[in-house]
Amino acid sequence: MFAGLAWAVAVAVGFTQLYRYKAEPAGQKAAPARWPKDSGLRRSPDRATLLLFAHPGCPCTRASLSELARLMTREAVRVAAQVVVVEPRITPASWTDSAALRERAASIPGVAVVRDEDGLEAARFNAGVSGFVVLYDARGSRLFSGGITPSRGHEGDSFGRRRIRAALEGRAPDLDTSPVYGCALALRDDGHHAAMDHEGASP
Amino acid sequence: MTNMATETAVQRIVQRAEARYQANHHALLAETDRLFAWLLAGQWVFGIAVALFLSPHAWEGRARTVHVHVWAAVLLGGALSGLPIALAILRPGWVVTRHVIAASQMLWSALLIHLSGGRIETHFHVFGSLGILAGYRDWRVLGTATSMVVADHLIRGLLWPESVYGIVNPEWWRFLEHAFWVVFAVSFLVVLSVRSLREMRALAERGAELEALSESEWRTSSVLDREPEPVRAAAV
Repeated sequence: MFAGLAWAVAVAVGFTQLYRYKAEPAGQKAAPARWPKDSGLRRSPDRATLLLFAHPGCPCTRASLSELARLMTREAVRVAAQVVVVEPRITPASWTDSAALRERAASIPGVAVVRDEDGLEAARFNAGVSGFVVLYDARGSRLFSGGITPSRGHEGDSFGRRRIRAALEGRAPDLDTSPVYGCALALRDDGHHAAMDHEGASP
Repeated sequence: MTNMATETAVQRIVQRAEARYQANHHALLAETDRLFAWLLAGQWVFGIAVALFLSPHAWEGRARTVHVHVWAAVLLGGALSGLPIALAILRPGWVVTRHVIAASQMLWSALLIHLSGGRIETHFHVFGSLGILAGYRDWRVLGTATSMVVADHLIRGLLWPESVYGIVNPEWWRFLEHAFWVVFAVSFLVVLSVRSLREMRALAERGAELEALSESEWRTSSVLDREPEPVRAAAV
């Protein structure tokens, strides 16, 4: 009887901890209201431009890429998308996971994969968390910045995906932001971390 | 045979049939417990493999740590499988064993869904598990399994709805839609389980009758063997 009760409590605690981890977003500021003038990334002059910043090793970003693929299935005509892979200039030997994410991103039709050495572009767009998505219109005004998954590493409908669709279809979304779930992006050598709120930040 | 002797013989057959049925039923339950012990052990290994393959590390910039999913697979998965496996080995056929197994199997569905990042395909584990649990031919076990699914959906639907339904802002009754499909599958499994037990009982009765018949024939032939041959009158 006691063993059974202890087992039930242990299982309940385990699942509660797992769900809390999945549901806790990382702290993330909004992207700049205008496309940064000093950005080297290409902005489309006749369509909206979407950027998804990714840590190449982050497993949660796999779900973000799946959601991006779903988005592009319907919206490829209306948006030019890029996955910005943020990595150090010299990739550490321990970074063995990066190729898979890059290949996954490259396989999405209409998506270009760009390398961001030391997170310089990420810093310009205030991106601090892997899976952070920013959407700008053809004139360079921000339409949306945030995440596109419902919880950490979980595929499915999300506020972010709905708001991006609304913005692309010309409807005014209720908000232009949403929680981001992912690992912290790679630091530059000088220790600068692109615009992250460290309170509540979690990998 | 007198009426009393007939009644006694019938009662003996009924008792024998019940004993055969109980023995066969217990053997079935114990065997199913052992099957699940292997399945739960295999799921634990599989869960760890999924976590290591899909999400081995979490990253904080350049530094990496072991991902929470790996810990969940090892520790939570170990807890989920540990008690049911121990019960299956130490108390096979016990009613508590199969209910703990049923609860654990459905919680494994929830864990695997999370480890796989919410893939729709992993949800098939729920319905596959219900089918395997029907091997107990005990509708109460299916009731336990169904209750676990409903409770999980209800609780998570209130606290983290996106993790359950794949949509934001689900209606309050959404969990009923998921529960309906589980109840749909379980209803037919219950009917088939009850039918299967009825057949087991009928087989036990037939077996008992055959046993009684064969015993009776053996007794008769033994008597005949012991009696001397009747003397034939010499032909005149």
